[in-house]
Amino acid sequence: MGLLDSEIGKRRLLSIELPVIERYNDGRDALFKIQVLRVGSSLIMKYRLKPGHNIFQLETRLLSSYPTVPPETRVLTPLKHCPHLLEGQSLCLWRQGSTRMTSRWDPARFTCIFAVQAAWRWLACYEVWHETGEWPLPEAK
Amino acid sequence: MAHLVQVGAGSGGMPVLDMVAHDPRITRITLIEPDIYQPHNVVRHLFPRQAVGEYKAVLAQKWLQERRCDLQVRSLVRDLLDPAIQDELHRVLMETDIAVCAADNEPAKFHWDHLMRRHRIPWTLGEVLSGGIGGFVHWFVPDGPCYGCVAGFLQRTVEVEKAKAPDYSQPGGPEAATTVPATKASIQAVASLHALVTLRLLQEGSAYQPGFTSLLLTLERVPDVFEEAFRTYRFRVPRADDCLICRPGLTRVPADSSPEELDVALDQALARLGNE
Repeated sequence: MGLLDSEIGKRRLLSIELPVIERYNDGRDALFKIQVLRVGSSLIMKYRLKPGHNIFQLETRLLSSYPTVPPETRVLTPLKHCPHLLEGQSLCLWRQGSTRMTSRWDPARFTCIFAVQAAWRWLACYEVWHETGEWPLPEAK
Repeated sequence: MAHLVQVGAGSGGMPVLDMVAHDPRITRITLIEPDIYQPHNVVRHLFPRQAVGEYKAVLAQKWLQERRCDLQVRSLVRDLLDPAIQDELHRVLMETDIAVCAADNEPAKFHWDHLMRRHRIPWTLGEVLSGGIGGFVHWFVPDGPCYGCVAGFLQRTVEVEKAKAPDYSQPGGPEAATTVPATKASIQAVASLHALVTLRLLQEGSAYQPGFTSLLLTLERVPDVFEEAFRTYRFRVPRADDCLICRPGLTRVPADSSPEELDVALDQALARLGNE
């Protein structure tokens, strides 16, 4: 019973997730559009972000249990080891029970594009960290 | 004469089921529970140690019929999320008056919420917080807030889940909050509230107005979490206008689309976005 094999999952995709991806892509330079691939019971969004001076290639995976379980995002472009970076260059974006609203995944309010925005924010922090050695956002509690 | 459908007959679900099933208005019960009764369940469960190894759904059915021989009980030893059970579940839910969710995982709760809204069934949900420091009881009716509205609202307005999830594999470990599971007493306290709310909802239906949609009862004082034990918090959670789970008119696909039509629409949308 998942995103791609249940009625509830398919309706979520058709009425919420895929339309917001189409809106995100609308009018955007082809290099920065989101491409969506079906891999097994998951969907993978492949895209590029340019938060500052550099272009990063990323993929966000919507697992079968999405949206109950938050999307997983990893950067494909090699990064220096830094704070909030998990194994496989996955980004630490969500923390259950966090006092910061944007750090708590909420399937009733967020779409997969929120994950893209969160990744953009993370990469902007990374670029600052890369130059200064300091992560500009306080740690989510 | 009411048909109750419940998902979950674990240590929290079984006492709710037991209490609700003693009400003479309940004449038929369908229970969905896939798990086998394990040795580590014994300390918190109603079933005896000798029952270890049997399916909880089967044990629950026996338990209920020993106490009320007039009760019609059916157990489905299946996972709620199992695609193979969905058609049967829809048939069962077409004849359901009230439902209880005692599932302990978020995907199951969201799926249950979807089923309840689709079949317009009033339902209740009980949640014991990690370590048994307190618990929630929520009730839901058609056109009211959905589980997504409630979960989102409570995450934003209260902090009640700072305690880490119990680690059942390390009893006696260094951190009490992570190693002491909820006691049977705390589970039963929340279960009793859950059963009361369920029976009142059955009786009053859409007229039910207890002054909350979610009730939190604290059972322990926990620094930085609960200031005192045995205090209730009453939440009136509204239906969120921007809820992505239940917002009316959200769907772009007709409600009566067939599975094949959904598949075709999905394939076309994915093709537009670069798939296949």
